[in-house]
Amino acid sequence: MGASGWLFLFSVLMAAGLLFTMVFFIIMFSDLECDYINPIDLCNKLNQFVLPENIAHAFLALLFLLSGQWIAFLLNAPLLVYNVNKIRNSNHMYDATEIFRTLPNHKKESFIKLGFYLLSFFYYLYRMILALIQESE
Amino acid sequence: MASPAQQLPPGWAAEWDQNAQRYLFIETATGRTQWEEPFLDPEGALNPVPTASPPPGQHHTKRRQYAAGQTQAYYGADTIAPPPGPAYGAVPGQPAQPSQLFTPGLAAEGQFAQQQIGQPGQPPYYGGAQPEPEYINQPGFGQGPVYQQPGVGALADQFSQMNVGQKGLRLFTTNLLTAPPEPLELHRPPPDIILPPNSCLSNSPFANADPSYQRCTLNAIPTSNSLLNKSKIPLGLVITPYRSLKEGDDPVPLITDTVIARCRRCRTYINPYVQFIDGGNRWRCCMCSMSNEVPQLFDWDQVRNQPGDRWARAELNHGVVEFVAPTEYMVRPPQPAVYVFLIDVSHNAVQSGMVATATRTILENLDRIPNEDNRTKVAFIAFDVSLHFFSLPAGTSDSSMLVVSDLDDVFLPKPTDLLVNLTESRAAIENLLGRLNDMFTENHVIGSALGPALQAAFKMMAHIGGKIVVLSSSLPSLGAGALKNREDPKVLGTSKESALLQPASPFYKTFAIECSRAQVSVDMFLFSAAYQDVATLACLPRYTSGQTFFYPAFNASRTEDAVKFAHEFGEVIAMPIMLEAVIRVRASKNLRMSAFHGNFFVRSTDLLAMPSVPQDVSYAIEIQIEDNLTAPFVVLQTAVLHTTCFGERRIRVVTTALPTTSNLSEVFASADQVAIATLLANKAVERSITHKLEDARDALFNKMVEILSAYKASMTAAGAGASAQLAISENLKMLPVLILGLLKNVGIRQSAQIPPDLRAYAQCLLTTLPSQLLIPYIYPTFYSLHNMAPECGTVGEHGIIMPQPLPLTSERLERHGLFLIEDGQNIFLWVGRDAVPQLVMDVFNLPSYEVLRGGKTTLPVLDNPFSQRVNAVIQKTREMRRGVYYPHLYVVKEDGEPPLRLWALSCLIQDRADVLPSYQQFISQLRDKVNGSSY
Ligand SMILES: [Zn+2]
Repeated sequence: MGASGWLFLFSVLMAAGLLFTMVFFIIMFSDLECDYINPIDLCNKLNQFVLPENIAHAFLALLFLLSGQWIAFLLNAPLLVYNVNKIRNSNHMYDATEIFRTLPNHKKESFIKLGFYLLSFFYYLYRMILALIQESE
Repeated sequence: MASPAQQLPPGWAAEWDQNAQRYLFIETATGRTQWEEPFLDPEGALNPVPTASPPPGQHHTKRRQYAAGQTQAYYGADTIAPPPGPAYGAVPGQPAQPSQLFTPGLAAEGQFAQQQIGQPGQPPYYGGAQPEPEYINQPGFGQGPVYQQPGVGALADQFSQMNVGQKGLRLFTTNLLTAPPEPLELHRPPPDIILPPNSCLSNSPFANADPSYQRCTLNAIPTSNSLLNKSKIPLGLVITPYRSLKEGDDPVPLITDTVIARCRRCRTYINPYVQFIDGGNRWRCCMCSMSNEVPQLFDWDQVRNQPGDRWARAELNHGVVEFVAPTEYMVRPPQPAVYVFLIDVSHNAVQSGMVATATRTILENLDRIPNEDNRTKVAFIAFDVSLHFFSLPAGTSDSSMLVVSDLDDVFLPKPTDLLVNLTESRAAIENLLGRLNDMFTENHVIGSALGPALQAAFKMMAHIGGKIVVLSSSLPSLGAGALKNREDPKVLGTSKESALLQPASPFYKTFAIECSRAQVSVDMFLFSAAYQDVATLACLPRYTSGQTFFYPAFNASRTEDAVKFAHEFGEVIAMPIMLEAVIRVRASKNLRMSAFHGNFFVRSTDLLAMPSVPQDVSYAIEIQIEDNLTAPFVVLQTAVLHTTCFGERRIRVVTTALPTTSNLSEVFASADQVAIATLLANKAVERSITHKLEDARDALFNKMVEILSAYKASMTAAGAGASAQLAISENLKMLPVLILGLLKNVGIRQSAQIPPDLRAYAQCLLTTLPSQLLIPYIYPTFYSLHNMAPECGTVGEHGIIMPQPLPLTSERLERHGLFLIEDGQNIFLWVGRDAVPQLVMDVFNLPSYEVLRGGKTTLPVLDNPFSQRVNAVIQKTREMRRGVYYPHLYVVKEDGEPPLRLWALSCLIQDRADVLPSYQQFISQLRDKVNGSSY
């Protein structure tokens, strides 16, 4: 298996991981709505995952950039810019005092990210298979 | 009119109105009410027009006739003679057609301008040469407000019953272009709550909560969300569950037998709007229709140990009740009240006299601190760059100081005797307070370790909960929570300004959350002359349900400063508080509480956590209609589970029932402009912090445009086309001027000169003041004192009689006059430049205007009737509202220092002020927007 095959295999695994993180976020948000968890615990829990998730995504985008996978990089660039911008304005963390007011936005964001990771999962899978086929020819 | 009750024509009754400070006249047969005194005219028909000399301009006369006409149309009363002059309004019995709606201003085009010119003829400066008091000329209010308010008693009962037969509220249109704002309108009770017959178990006038406890922006709830959206009026609830009791207020009935009937499904408390079924053995919940069992002991009188009368139970007759809670409502035994005082003793604080004033005030108020059960605990921590703890052992008068300088890892230097019982250690506490200031008079240390001090206080009390009272004169500079001076004059007035209103350090939010969890609340008293970052420090009270007080550039050597702070601080520490409280608002099916504004922490979707609930603080809650409402009325119930400061677990339940309507005109007719303004103030502040100040202003303006457009499109004949008038219903007439007041308030105003600390503090006030204080804060009161009627300022049957409030425009200022402008936080005494020496002599004891000095002052009480009357008016202004605030009195000379003059003039919000429009300009902007937009 060549370099791009390995790269996309790794991306598939990463995308799957990110996908599960988003599912976890969404489940936690709906728990909050049903009063199964209080906002303080929720924020403490989710905030542990925010930076790792952003770093994992940034790392993936960096790999695409270094390996010259321009299309894959460009697909990830908007989300990367969005995340960086949020961290620069230091509002990437969930705030327990504001969580109920901002909950609809958080849920929307998580669903969009979920959709994005799902699509990129299949895209990486496709690219991996493509790379394998090209190699075998 | 010292005692109007004796001079009334038969069939009329006079009722003293606490809010308006004047008599409300009630025609007992019809329930019709009016502010002016009724007269018996020669034909024997009742006619509210006084026969005395006509007032300047015919404006008032016409309006009065209008009021009489509309009353007649409303009640169809044939005992009232037809009003002279043009007949307005719909013919009795005929349904109002939108096209026939009456617009009073239309017939009186141009009279606004006439009124603006002012009264012709300069009246003498005082002495009461006026033939009749000004307020006799007020328009009569004929819509028969049914306000179920303590004090109205049997009469309100009488007319609430009569209204049961009426079909909803009638809508009266007014034209904003020609009808100027009328300050007295703001004192009117909200529109009637006309419930369908038999919806209430009780005939008591108190079955619905008084609006001062809980009021809704709409007193008839639209049956669907689309109808609500059509009206564009925001739906929300304004609650002040822990309202203080002024003299004459009825106390909240207390139910001591711990029989608490609640719905099994939605947990609603039993209230006057449930139904008894199955021969009285079961009750049907008014919110979810669940059938519940009546508790066994419900009909048992436990005091006398005999069968009791169910119908006499307070919870079936009162909209506001308090239950003593049994142990199921306790997580732990009721906590004692705990007060930890954090006193800044750095150089600035001591030099300004804050430490001396604060310790003296605490000392003087030790007996007033809630301590009925002798369990109250107190502690004192002084802080500058290190923490000074005080050991106060019981039974001795010795106290010793322990200094901790390690700020990174705060620890308590002693396990005991720091947080002590107020009664047992009284001697040591008194001794400490007596010499605390002397201990630090030579302190030259500059710097503040507020964060570590807070952490130490938290450590001391976290296992109990209670109140931390912070008195700080400087920007926190050391340890956790240290802040930088981020005030930047270049940013003011730009879109970046809102960043200065957001907390600068996450410490204050995370610490606030910790406090909320441990049932600790924080009150902030701030005193700095330099930048102190009020926006960040106010975060602690914001999320722990405390309060912020700000005394910029406090200096105790000015008596006024010391008096104001001592009064407010004394009231705060003496205030009975609710501890360990949670608030939940329940509502009928398909209504949902969607957003919460105020000082608390939202712990779950509908639960507000409040470690302590201070008195007279207001909260606003937005309501969403999730699905169509089918019931004829809905119920909104606020329940406050709390521990009293004398260790009893209680539940205060505030219930309001409101009819539903599918009629848009009824929605408009039931709108409560005061509640709407209160809700919009809260929303505007939130928006200014999360977005930009400009967005908040735009949102306010656009909301007003939307309401006016919606009204025009659906309620007037003009529909979507352009119209020469700007129509709104009579009960919303003051909304535009209240919005203008908000747009001009220090918290929201467009300006590059407002220091961020003042802005942040104004925003604190906007979000916590109850309506009674908030309305004057955005629409100040303006009196003319030199020519007030002779009885004003004297003691009448119901206390001091106040002068007639004037519209807020400087055109009313006269060069020889003496005026009073007050917004509940400050009082300005405006002296005209041509004030005669006699006036200056009588009020200020000074020979002439030239020697009079402007600024903060205490008015002398002199041995002449005018001085005494002016003092009485000022005293009444300070006392007439609920709340701890003690307004400063400023003397403002017409040609005095510009800043003070401009400040006083900025209260006259109907005037133009640089970029901010005058009321007339504002109304034309609104009209252009309304006509320009296509709805
Ligand atoms: Zn129920």
